[in-house]
Amino acid sequence: MPDPSSQIDALRAQFDRDLAGAAGEPAVRAVRDRYLARKGGLLTALLKNLASAPPEARPLLGRLANDLKGYITTRLAERLAEVAVSRRPAGAVDVTLPGRAPSIGHRHPLTLVREAVETIFARMGFLVIEGPELEDDYHNFEALNMPADHPARDMQDTLYLAAPVRSAAGSPATLLRTHTSGMQIRYLETHQPPVRLIAPGRVYRRDDLDLSHTPMFTQVEGLVVGERVTLADLKGTLFAFLHELFGQERGVRFRPSFFPYTEPSAEVDITCSACGGPGNPATATCGLCKRTGWLEILGSGMVHPAVFEAVGYDPERYTGFAFGMGIERAAILKWGVEDIRLFYENDLRFLEQFPL
Amino acid sequence: MRLVYPWLCDLVRVPGDPDSIAAEMGLRGFEVAGVEHGRLPVIDFEITANRPDCLSHVGLAREAATIWGLPLHMPELAPASDDSRAASREPRAAVLEVDLQDADGCPRYAAQAFEVTIGSSPAWLRDRLEAAGLRPINNIVDVTNYVMLEIGQPMHAFDLDRLAGQRLVIRRARAGEPLRTLDGVERTLDAETVVIADAERPCAIGGVMGGLDSEIGASTTRIALESAYFKPTAIRRTSRRLALKTEASARFERGGDIEAPPAGIRRAAALFAQIAAGRPIGDAIDVYPAPRPPLEVRLRASRIERVLGASIGAADVRRILTALGFIVADAADAWLVKVPSYRVDVMREDDLVEEVGRHYGFGRLPMTFPVLDAPQAPPDPRVARDRTVRQVLTAAGFSESMTFAFIERQAALPFCDAGVEPAAIANPLSEKFAVLRPSLMPGLIDSCAHNRRRGRKDVRLFEIGSRFTPSGEGRAIALAWCGASNEPHWSAAARPVDFFDVKGAAELLCGAFGLVATECVTAERPYLLPGRTARLRAGADWLGELGQLLPALAESRGFPADEPIYVAEIDADRFVAAGATDALRAATLPRFPSIVRDVSIVVDEALPAAAVRGTIRSAAPPTLASVVEFDRYQGKGVPDGRVSLSLRLTFRAPDRTLTDDEAQSATEHIVEALGREHDAERR
Ligand SMILES: [Zn+2]
Repeated sequence: MPDPSSQIDALRAQFDRDLAGAAGEPAVRAVRDRYLARKGGLLTALLKNLASAPPEARPLLGRLANDLKGYITTRLAERLAEVAVSRRPAGAVDVTLPGRAPSIGHRHPLTLVREAVETIFARMGFLVIEGPELEDDYHNFEALNMPADHPARDMQDTLYLAAPVRSAAGSPATLLRTHTSGMQIRYLETHQPPVRLIAPGRVYRRDDLDLSHTPMFTQVEGLVVGERVTLADLKGTLFAFLHELFGQERGVRFRPSFFPYTEPSAEVDITCSACGGPGNPATATCGLCKRTGWLEILGSGMVHPAVFEAVGYDPERYTGFAFGMGIERAAILKWGVEDIRLFYENDLRFLEQFPL
Repeated sequence: MRLVYPWLCDLVRVPGDPDSIAAEMGLRGFEVAGVEHGRLPVIDFEITANRPDCLSHVGLAREAATIWGLPLHMPELAPASDDSRAASREPRAAVLEVDLQDADGCPRYAAQAFEVTIGSSPAWLRDRLEAAGLRPINNIVDVTNYVMLEIGQPMHAFDLDRLAGQRLVIRRARAGEPLRTLDGVERTLDAETVVIADAERPCAIGGVMGGLDSEIGASTTRIALESAYFKPTAIRRTSRRLALKTEASARFERGGDIEAPPAGIRRAAALFAQIAAGRPIGDAIDVYPAPRPPLEVRLRASRIERVLGASIGAADVRRILTALGFIVADAADAWLVKVPSYRVDVMREDDLVEEVGRHYGFGRLPMTFPVLDAPQAPPDPRVARDRTVRQVLTAAGFSESMTFAFIERQAALPFCDAGVEPAAIANPLSEKFAVLRPSLMPGLIDSCAHNRRRGRKDVRLFEIGSRFTPSGEGRAIALAWCGASNEPHWSAAARPVDFFDVKGAAELLCGAFGLVATECVTAERPYLLPGRTARLRAGADWLGELGQLLPALAESRGFPADEPIYVAEIDADRFVAAGATDALRAATLPRFPSIVRDVSIVVDEALPAAAVRGTIRSAAPPTLASVVEFDRYQGKGVPDGRVSLSLRLTFRAPDRTLTDDEAQSATEHIVEALGREHDAERR
């Protein structure tokens, strides 16, 4: 009689060869039957043979035989699972191939900001108005307390038309609007307080193209007029707006400035997105905020009494506030866009970065 | 304005280093451009146009004194000579004569002659000038600059012995009169220019720049020192016309201090004495024919509260205004406030409210929300329209672009109506931005070319924007499509975009605004390829044009001529009108089944599909619900010059189930009419 332990090793080697040669599910099942069948299974037979081994060798042989039984059972179960997976029903597809995506375009990032601004202010009860991009001198400057030769006209280098252009809004247009305030004047001329509106749109200044300037950009201006409107209201409104647009965690501050059409005038800053704002170690070397921790985002103020007089409102009875923000600047600060010209090149690699 | 920190400290003992001083003043309306920590630290402020008084150390020091509640130490002045004004009328020893002829352009002119010893200034003076950004020249010029930077009064020194007749005449220039200015430029003056002349010719452009011929130099022994007030608008016009901006003109055009000219002379005299540069000779001259009384403005506590939304204590109001140099007196239920002459920006009550608010601190104002009195009206209809346009076109695969409203004239011309020039800009930045766009297409074409140059071949873009002609502006929506019509995928080859892609997109857009029955009519446009050009209309209204861009035009914008770009432009203003009359009623769904009949006919290839559809419509009974072209075939089995069309006819009646016979006979009738009208043969 051969040595029982080498018999066990030989059977294991034989099982490995048989299993490797079994291709499909039926073949694997056949291997199982050959080794494990109650009647005539090779392993069953081996276990029976062990009964004839010398008593002192039986414990060791019994353990080796049981190990082999465990090994065979496990390998068979694994192999059966594998062959079941590779079974392909008729008409099966390779689900790992790329899907067929319908084309979808992206809204422009400036539109995303503009619509966000409109939504926030709409919820605060603001009307959204639109108006002409070509303006007359009166609505762009004079009615806004900037008569001819006013030094503040230097603040906004203006693009003029070579010849006046007819305008549906009234008198012929002579210039490209430098802000959307003209629309607000038109609105005041034709409505009575209370007034609460925003006026978004494209505006033009004679600025050369560079990293931070374009001769055309987008602005949103706001105007509130009533019998009890105060600078504190302006502050409350703008802080709520900026916190919603840039995040509640952003710091906001309000400081005096000058615009000819508001008195008092204020500029509004938000904490720097690059260094995190004043007090952060990174502020000391921050180029974005010039080491101040603050970034200017909005100009604003109480409507100048001269503007009310120009549109026939009594400045004793009505007060109001006005504000203006560049949409490009907001988008730049919101998303860290490094070059303002990207907004006007329409490179799809740029546009497709923004949410749908 | 470069504020030299030690100079500031001479005037007010500020309690902090330059950084902390800058930060605090930044919150009072003086934006900080930078802080420099050199040997003489400098704070660089951006001074707003309304505050010419702060283009000086004293002006900024007064603000600092107000912030910290500290005394302001004014610079030392030389004693005033006894009754200078009387002296000027009847000069005793006429070392220098002043003849103020143009009191409109120059309301006040002060002058004084000095004996001088020209040399260089002491180091402390040179250092301060350099720190403030001015180049030291000689002791006399340096003192005039020092006084300007210190108290804000621009000064000018003439070489007295080079003034013909030792006279200064303030008058308008004669048209065409020449003057070589200190910068060496020979200038021709016009009759609006205020000049300071001697007995013979102009020696300076008043308030702007001196003349070279009367410039002081090493050999100068006597000077005439000018300290004047010029009318802001006059200086502004002159400076603009000559394109000449100087430290003096920048101050005068924003508004000088009409009380400062004599003080300027006295401060200069004190400095000349201090540095041993010269001493006055003859009388002090001060010609001020129409003295201006100080402005008095009423300020109510109630107005402060009404504008600021915060109640500020009377003591605070007095403290702030007094520190700023206003003189505050009590009156019945208000203060009467005298405005100092250097505060040219303060003209009415709200200007004072701003001063109070500014120094009370905007940071301390409460935050409230304006009371909403009534529900708001809906937004401008264009806002909703534009959102719908974006929704439809992005869903159709177009990305939104934005392009400049001004373009090159050459790029604009093909898009202008025959004989109409584009609206031009008078002062364009460059030829690239010379005219207003008559169409949005040129911008989109450039954007396609931009993407193509960067290796992106499949591009779908749209823009919503204004377009312009000399007769006005309007809004338009434009599309551009180049490359493949479908997204790249392993399952099918890419199909190049064609006319029907862009037509479909345009129709989809019109459909979104209720314009479902649009039709395309063959047309010609100078920028589109003949044979692939159409105008789009809804009923009698023309909506826009579409087609393939002329390859030569694409090439001229840097796009390969052999790759088609399809474009469309639609008048957006038509859509607002359509939306406004929206009276949608939901239709009842058909209750009875429909019958479908397919028909194939062979017709002449030039026969428009619209003609076939028209014939079918007129020959069909009212039960014809729809006609769809579902195949179009030329080739084997179809004679040359002919085309096989397959049409799917759907019949349905609203009130009963149609019979096969009814559908059959209607179909026969239609085929018969097609044969009669168009020589169509059934296949
Ligand atoms: Zn920063």
